[in-house]
Amino acid sequence: MNEPGSLTPGAEGSSGSSSQRSSIILSSRSSISRNLSNHKFPSSCSGEEKDQLIGIIKNSSLKAEDLSQLCFLKLSGMTKVQRQVLLSDYQIDEDFISSLSGRAIMIKPRTSIKEDALAIPLCWNDHLKIQCAAPGNTIGHVYEVVGAIEKQFESRLNFSFSKEWGYLTSSPASLGTALEISLLVHLPALAISPDIAEFMKNLSKIGCAVGGYSSSSPEVTGNIFRISSSRTLGKSEEEIVEEMNAICLNIVDEEESARRKLLKKDRLGAKDNVFRSYGLLKYARILSFEEALELLSILRLGLDLGIIGKIRDFDYFEIINMIGDAHVISSFEMGDRATEDEIDLKRAKLIRDSILED
Amino acid sequence: MRIINNMTCDFCKKNVATVHLIRVQNDSVEKVNICSECARDFSFFSEDDFYKDLSNILSKIFQSDQESIYDSRTSQSLASIDIKKKQVMGCPHCYGEFRSILLPIIKAIHRDTQYRGKIPEAVPRKVKLEKSISDLRKRLKREIFIENFEEAARIRDKIKQLEKNIYE
Repeated sequence: MNEPGSLTPGAEGSSGSSSQRSSIILSSRSSISRNLSNHKFPSSCSGEEKDQLIGIIKNSSLKAEDLSQLCFLKLSGMTKVQRQVLLSDYQIDEDFISSLSGRAIMIKPRTSIKEDALAIPLCWNDHLKIQCAAPGNTIGHVYEVVGAIEKQFESRLNFSFSKEWGYLTSSPASLGTALEISLLVHLPALAISPDIAEFMKNLSKIGCAVGGYSSSSPEVTGNIFRISSSRTLGKSEEEIVEEMNAICLNIVDEEESARRKLLKKDRLGAKDNVFRSYGLLKYARILSFEEALELLSILRLGLDLGIIGKIRDFDYFEIINMIGDAHVISSFEMGDRATEDEIDLKRAKLIRDSILED
Repeated sequence: MRIINNMTCDFCKKNVATVHLIRVQNDSVEKVNICSECARDFSFFSEDDFYKDLSNILSKIFQSDQESIYDSRTSQSLASIDIKKKQVMGCPHCYGEFRSILLPIIKAIHRDTQYRGKIPEAVPRKVKLEKSISDLRKRLKREIFIENFEEAARIRDKIKQLEKNIYE
């Protein structure tokens, strides 16, 4: 179901089309929400009740071999920067840290961005949300990982389930399979083409939700879109996975055709844009996260189109996961009092060091 | 579109519904029954909108004026407002308790009201069989509705077979 090539680290360059594909589909994520039967949903629980629930879930995981390797963290016991890094590394929506008390998370520690990002937020909207993200088009893989984890819990916990409506969740919107598959896609050529409006309209018509990179704002930065399946009732899990796989291929097709059109129509304009972005990245000393994302996106496009050479090939998704505010602060050990300018200065340097200078 | 009599309005649950909209598309059958009073309230929809997409109507109604609909017209106003406002339920049992209120909302969100996903291991075999039988019964109804009797007969035989299995 998935492309083994897109999972291999450093697949870029080995084959033209697979490298293209992973530079368009940045990451795939799958998540399922589950609740223990005969317990209130987290939103109507007191702090104490939530702690109790977290205790039950944590204890159930200790006996399972696969689950005991997971690292258990309480949100209230982490610093602000640690929480931000966690969100970005494990692709968790920002809403999770909107409240800290009575929330915890289990994560699988990892050493590289190429590994699966497996996380289980506890007592968020639902008792458990099991989610896994991996780079490239890996929908089938992340879906299976989540399913295997669910099985481990299922044999120890009783999930609330109804024959008519499937798995019961706190919000009727995720009722049923409670499964969400989402893709993080990089569409620099499509985003500037007139076809983008039609493309988005069609996606929402077939029941997909479209958002930007940051879950907290609807704005699109760095030409990155998050496209998620939204209907959970009336379709089986396999159907949802299959559909998202088809949508994924469709997205790659659309972007590739937009790129061909762009080259044919305005090669010089595109080239100019790529080199301008290169110039700014190379010489700017203060770069905000948003600006850096935009520039890197164009530079990545330039590399994909063969417009610009002589710079190090880079993984767009890997870079954006390194240059967020929280990552800059923690990798330069800047402390809480770092000003915006100080962070932007370090960010600019980080980008130069990692991709522009040998 | 067909007209069926003696049904109560899906929205006020009080008056006799006189407007009935039924749409059959591929796999799903959508039905909305509205009384003339409520229909007048929805006159802000263009005619096109009204007939093209029932779930659209439903979601618009729930988004635009949720509170007043429930406030003035149903007895379960308080709890339902809570559900509508926050879009969250209190506990798994709420789904059974507020089934009638939730049904149109769920229909509007998912354009379907029947679960077709996997069944947890812990659920006994009998329940699983019952689930597939009720799924088949729904399909049977639909096939009869669109007068596809050949398929209907096949489904009927399947149901018989499964029913035999349950009691064996």
